[in-house]
Amino acid sequence: MKSEEVKNLIIKSLDADSSPQEMAGKLENAGVSYDFSRGFGDKVIEKLFSASLSVNREVEFVRSMSYVFNRIALTGIAAIIILMISIFLMEGSFSLNSILGLGNNYDESIICMLTGK
Amino acid sequence: MKESYRQTDENELIKASINGDKFAFSEIMDRYRKLVARTVKGMLGDSVFAEDIGQEVFIKLYHSLPEFRGEAKLSTYIQKIAINLTLNEIKRRKRFFSMFSQKGNSEMYEFEVADVDNQEKREATDIVNRALMSLDPKFRIIVSMRMLQGYSTKETAEILNLPLGTVLSRLSRAQEQLKEIIGKL
Repeated sequence: MKSEEVKNLIIKSLDADSSPQEMAGKLENAGVSYDFSRGFGDKVIEKLFSASLSVNREVEFVRSMSYVFNRIALTGIAAIIILMISIFLMEGSFSLNSILGLGNNYDESIICMLTGK
Repeated sequence: MKESYRQTDENELIKASINGDKFAFSEIMDRYRKLVARTVKGMLGDSVFAEDIGQEVFIKLYHSLPEFRGEAKLSTYIQKIAINLTLNEIKRRKRFFSMFSQKGNSEMYEFEVADVDNQEKREATDIVNRALMSLDPKFRIIVSMRMLQGYSTKETAEILNLPLGTVLSRLSRAQEQLKEIIGKL
């Protein structure tokens, strides 16, 4: 089909009394065709499914991190409780000094130690 | 494996795709890739950018399939995604070009009429591309939907969420513009 005919079809296709489907069909028959390049579908599939694969990996990583954190947190809490009990049994109170392991005459001993007097 | 979906009903394909079946989704793409190509390339020209937007359309479709209720046809749903993404791209590029360049709209499109098997077809598609690209985007979408997809004025108004009168007046103004443009092509 010559280019003049294509141009006429373009104008006619917008006429109010023309049938849009019929005109679209005529243009297609005239060679007006649109498609994506070869491998288009494969690229989309690759993007979609490699992306979901990496999302799965991320989810897996977060799950294992949360498992490890739970184990560490539970062990840590148990250690703190044991420490508190032992401090209470040894010192008989939860004062700051007993938690820090400082004796009542600690200040003076440090001064003696530092000054050598 | 993919061939086994050739005759499969669309609803089955949607369900399988939601469950992560890539062959089912690939079949959906095969059925609608030309529809998307006409919409995207009709508005952006036959360029690498249009290919990228085409890919985005199907990626967005895949992610939004669980929300598709089947109230409208799948073709209409895909068409809407394609139109929205294409209009966003036009706006984005307009902003970019107004910031960095003094060039007019018509210069921001590339023409690479690819994969058209013979010279005559190539010329025909090229004429339509040039005519469409010379139009303002708000006219271009309406013209492209009628001329390339065969949508009626009423269908176009519904899909674009525009009053019927607006579509009619834009079509008429676009036709006037096209008469002038085509004379120069």
